[in-house]
Amino acid sequence: MKTVLLLIPGLGTIVFLMGSALYTIVIQSFGIDSEFGATLIYWSDALHDPILYRSIHYSLRTSILGSLGAVVLAYPIAMWLKNTIPGKTAIVGLLRAPMFVPGLVAAFLLINVISFHGILNESLLALGIIDKPMRITNDKFGWSVVILQIWKNTPFALILLSSSINSIRSDVLDASADLGASRWANFWQVVFPLTIPALQAALILIFIGALGDFAFASIAGSRNVYSLSVLMHYTATAYYEWEKAAVIGLIIMLLSAFSAVVLTLITRPFANRTKAVIPADYKG
Amino acid sequence: MLQIKNIRKCFDDYVASDDISFNVAAGEFVTLLGPSGCGKTTLLKMIGGFHKADSGEIWINGKRIDHLRPEDRNTAMCFQSYALFPHLSVSHNICFGLVQKKVPASLQRDYLAEALSQVGLELHKDKLPSQLSGGQQQRVALARAMVMRPDVILFDEPLSNLDAKLRESVRFEIKSLQKKHNLTTVYVTHDQAEALAMSDKIIVLNSGRIEQEGSPEDIYYRPVNRFVADFIGAANIHKAKVSKMEQVNHYKVECDLGELVVESEEAPVAEYVYICWRPESAYRAQGTEENRFSIKVENLAFLGNVTDLFGRSGLMDEAENNVRIQLHKLLHTQIGASEEFVLPKNTIRFLEEVVS
Repeated sequence: MKTVLLLIPGLGTIVFLMGSALYTIVIQSFGIDSEFGATLIYWSDALHDPILYRSIHYSLRTSILGSLGAVVLAYPIAMWLKNTIPGKTAIVGLLRAPMFVPGLVAAFLLINVISFHGILNESLLALGIIDKPMRITNDKFGWSVVILQIWKNTPFALILLSSSINSIRSDVLDASADLGASRWANFWQVVFPLTIPALQAALILIFIGALGDFAFASIAGSRNVYSLSVLMHYTATAYYEWEKAAVIGLIIMLLSAFSAVVLTLITRPFANRTKAVIPADYKG
Repeated sequence: MLQIKNIRKCFDDYVASDDISFNVAAGEFVTLLGPSGCGKTTLLKMIGGFHKADSGEIWINGKRIDHLRPEDRNTAMCFQSYALFPHLSVSHNICFGLVQKKVPASLQRDYLAEALSQVGLELHKDKLPSQLSGGQQQRVALARAMVMRPDVILFDEPLSNLDAKLRESVRFEIKSLQKKHNLTTVYVTHDQAEALAMSDKIIVLNSGRIEQEGSPEDIYYRPVNRFVADFIGAANIHKAKVSKMEQVNHYKVECDLGELVVESEEAPVAEYVYICWRPESAYRAQGTEENRFSIKVENLAFLGNVTDLFGRSGLMDEAENNVRIQLHKLLHTQIGASEEFVLPKNTIRFLEEVVS
């Protein structure tokens, strides 16, 4: 009993804050607190709405590509940073800079770069590479959001992957080279499997952040398709459908939890290799 | 087979290898022995390709290899920490090099089965390294190296992480596998007992230089200088004035034990030289033998198989090292007593000149 009481200051706060928010949103999504009483109508409405599915598709593709892009980009940088490089501290500081730029500011910066009369278009026009400006902002697919997600999250992936790569003993890497592994084989067969826990953590955390992203999607996202969080925002504040917004909120949470499990299951088989090399019926 | 020619390697001001040259014949077990920081691991890593020499050449089977990357040299290294891949089972660890060499899967299975039986790990083949004991992990590392059929197998203090008892048994296992498969081996250790027990040839290193190269018997019984004498086993070292006697290969030496006769095929390098002898060479005087000396017992320790005795002769001053004698028979004496011992004349060795 005494032990449980000791947990209250830490765990109690978390449970209270998380629990009360979750409780409210669940109650709201089933309309339990409304004058009509508990109903599945809001869930039914939301799940029959094609806009929701377009939003789920849009959010999933931008967050999958964004999180994958960030870790794919972070791996070679982390491998490179393992070496002794002059000015390493300054390089690491510069690489981490995007973490300190708020999402909204970053989105506006990107818009300035890729807008119709932005730096990119003007530069390409000046160089004579294009005849007329390209329309690449607020694209339907969500590439501008993907680019922003990668830009913003690569430093975070880099922190997790770098510490994991640096914790691999140098003699394990020496042994790999000694046994004839090329640089690619060394990465794919030794470094990658040994950094799977860090990769899982990076992928899941970035994915969940990207799935619930509002800042990038509202500034640089598509004008035709909403991301889930933008849809939730408009549903609640423009249409005053708070119960339906609560349903969308719960869908975001469920999708995050489901995706975390899927990402873990997909990446887990890469972590160990224990399958028998010699079959049971081997005669020699 | 393996030729090291005038290898030099510096780390800033520190000279790790200073003009090192030696040869290792096919099937020979050569140990690089020396204290921490003497440059033995650096030398091994240069053979393996993990460090690049500043100058000098490394040849294996008539082919110069010092410019090649580790993966392009046919050497295999057993690391101090074993360096097993923690995510791979014993079988996959052993096959790792074969996969890189693109050895066909059926042949990989044959090599693996053979290697597992050689190191006695058939029952553990699908376990991860973390599920094995230190000795078993060491055997996996050995199997992983052997399965590559390397031209030279390199060991970097492979037993230093094992407990004393296991160290002895793995030492014999490594030696018997090396003999059985005629593996050309370069072994690094700071443990002189390990070096003496396993090697065909020992190279004693100190401060990046070779102090002596020879068989274990040579190194132990015929050290060339005070460093080797003192580093390998225990040694009593004295300054001595030498004069030749009429009898062939016989010399009279005057030292702080008194006047002694030395029988040596090698002449002393100067009139004033250091001499050394092993603590187990002396025995208690029975009567009127030659080369008797007397010491006052200062310390006595019964170690079971030997009695360790420390004493001082009348000619030794307090600042000088005392004399150590190891007797295989129980000595009934006490601290403070004066005892007489005999030092056989052929057990005394001339070392380098005394430079005052």
